[in-house]
Amino acid sequence: MSNPIIGLIMGAIFGASLVLAGLADPDKIIGTLRLKDFHALRTVVVFVLVGMLGTWILDSVGAANLDIKPAAILTVAIGGAFLGIGLGLTGFSPGTALASAASGRIDALFTIAGMLFGAHVYVLIYPLIVIPLERIVNWGSITLPQITGSSTALWVITLFATGSLALFLKRLRKTRFFELHKKEGDLKMDEYYADSGVIRLTPDCLEAAHVFRGWKNLLFIVVVLCLLVHQAAVWLTITGQIEIGEDAVVKVPVFLGLSQKQTAGATEQAMTQSNLSAPAVVQAPVIRPQKSGILPFEVTFEHLTSAVRLANAILVLTSLLYALTLFLSLITSLVSGLAGLRHISRAFYLSLVMVILLLPWQMVFGRIVLGAIYTPDELVAWCTADINGTFEIVLFYLRFTGYWALAMIILLLAQSRSHRWAKSMLYGLKIVEQDVQKRIVA
Amino acid sequence: MNELDSHRPPLPWLAGGILLGLVQVLAIGLVRPLSVSTPFVAADAKVLEHVALEYTQHHQLISNEEYKRFDYGFWFNIGLVLGALLSALYLRKWKLQATSILWQWNHNAPILLRLITGFCGGVLLLLGAGLAYGCITGQFASGWAQLSLSAVPFTITMFGFGMLVAYLVYPKAPNLDRWRR
Repeated sequence: MSNPIIGLIMGAIFGASLVLAGLADPDKIIGTLRLKDFHALRTVVVFVLVGMLGTWILDSVGAANLDIKPAAILTVAIGGAFLGIGLGLTGFSPGTALASAASGRIDALFTIAGMLFGAHVYVLIYPLIVIPLERIVNWGSITLPQITGSSTALWVITLFATGSLALFLKRLRKTRFFELHKKEGDLKMDEYYADSGVIRLTPDCLEAAHVFRGWKNLLFIVVVLCLLVHQAAVWLTITGQIEIGEDAVVKVPVFLGLSQKQTAGATEQAMTQSNLSAPAVVQAPVIRPQKSGILPFEVTFEHLTSAVRLANAILVLTSLLYALTLFLSLITSLVSGLAGLRHISRAFYLSLVMVILLLPWQMVFGRIVLGAIYTPDELVAWCTADINGTFEIVLFYLRFTGYWALAMIILLLAQSRSHRWAKSMLYGLKIVEQDVQKRIVA
Repeated sequence: MNELDSHRPPLPWLAGGILLGLVQVLAIGLVRPLSVSTPFVAADAKVLEHVALEYTQHHQLISNEEYKRFDYGFWFNIGLVLGALLSALYLRKWKLQATSILWQWNHNAPILLRLITGFCGGVLLLLGAGLAYGCITGQFASGWAQLSLSAVPFTITMFGFGMLVAYLVYPKAPNLDRWRR
């Protein structure tokens, strides 16, 4: 097949897909830009994510025909601004204008005429304006993985996961729970509440419970992610994937009387001076193999430290907010007479225990009380300490993994309980609905 | 209400997005990433070739071989129009209309103003696409698919200015889906 025929076929498929996806409708585009109707935005995000994943797979088998545009930042940014203004004015992009015109839109035909004139203006200004602009901050045809020195896999997986999570969270907010009770029949049910006197439920209470439920799930995900970062940092350090730098100054005393290990050079010097025939048995709590390169990019201990500190800050805030959200959910259930009180009460107490376990009490009480959240200095102190004997190794793992696992289990239990609360609410509402309908029939 | 129902997208967003993404993958596997705006410049170059041949031969952009022939890109756009026409006819979505619901909602103005705005917007669309080396399809969708660095500033300014202008031009924007319900 020659190129024109492939072009015709590909164009036909793309045009049909634009109409099928609902993008050949300026109201959908304007709705997205006004943040009122997210159909077009969601479609485009999925379009980009699927394209990204597919391109990565094609590229990894050497079958991709890539065409990377030059990163002339200023020109591209100005072009993007012009395009954005055109998009905001008309609700058409060049591709959707063609598809819309084919669907019978006369305004799209005028936009296409404008585009032809715009192409002429572009040709006219190219030598005078575009060429000098292109020379300012031009990094050439470069990709994000190339400029950051990281792998394509990391970028694709991260963007895909983030995009999917954003889409999934958006869907969570539209759960069938409240969608169900906003339909016509349920609105009628709301109207009967005042007369029937069955419960003191109002649509406002449902809305509030809906909001708390959404935030609770979001906070849970954030807390879990931060906890995973914490644990990953521990394992990356103790397996030697990330080496503790020489300048990682340990200011925190090691707990339970463990003394700090001297640097390797100093130890050797001391051994030579004392003419020891055999080195003292120093059993490290961990095995440190050579760096095997699991990580697709260079991560230093400084990066890890920053990540742990950031995770600490987010973890403290989100875990407190999580407990507070459960408390507010409990209050809402109590006030509005929603079902599932026992579940939400348990969930709230579990979340309180989780918060108490998590908070870094060692920063307040010193070495007497520990929290599951550790500081990077503490990790350095433990990893560079002389740890002899099974008891101390067990202590090490209990402090960094066992404590973490306990907090994680309690968090999961709290989330599970609160999930049962939401289900009970739904169940309770159905019973009420049936009751109201029976009364109406009677 | 019937008019609103005719605006209901034929596919849900997930299915529509996956379909478009697969078309992108197919295009990258067969020829090159999806792109729409370049043939407009090529069409202008063809016209200029007949009107001012010498100017065309010395122009830094349209003297390139890429802009001298109607190849894959040109036929892609023709195919796009045909594909959209056929699918609109098949779905019974083909309808002659000169304005949009949100335009009517916001501006109690004659249709002529909508058409003039459409023309001015079209000029900016292609000017922007030329400057940015691609339109929303060529730079945003294909750029992100290839993780191109140029897609980042493009996305920021396009959405930033797009949202600002949409806010100014369409201040009243109800959620049509909710209204329909």
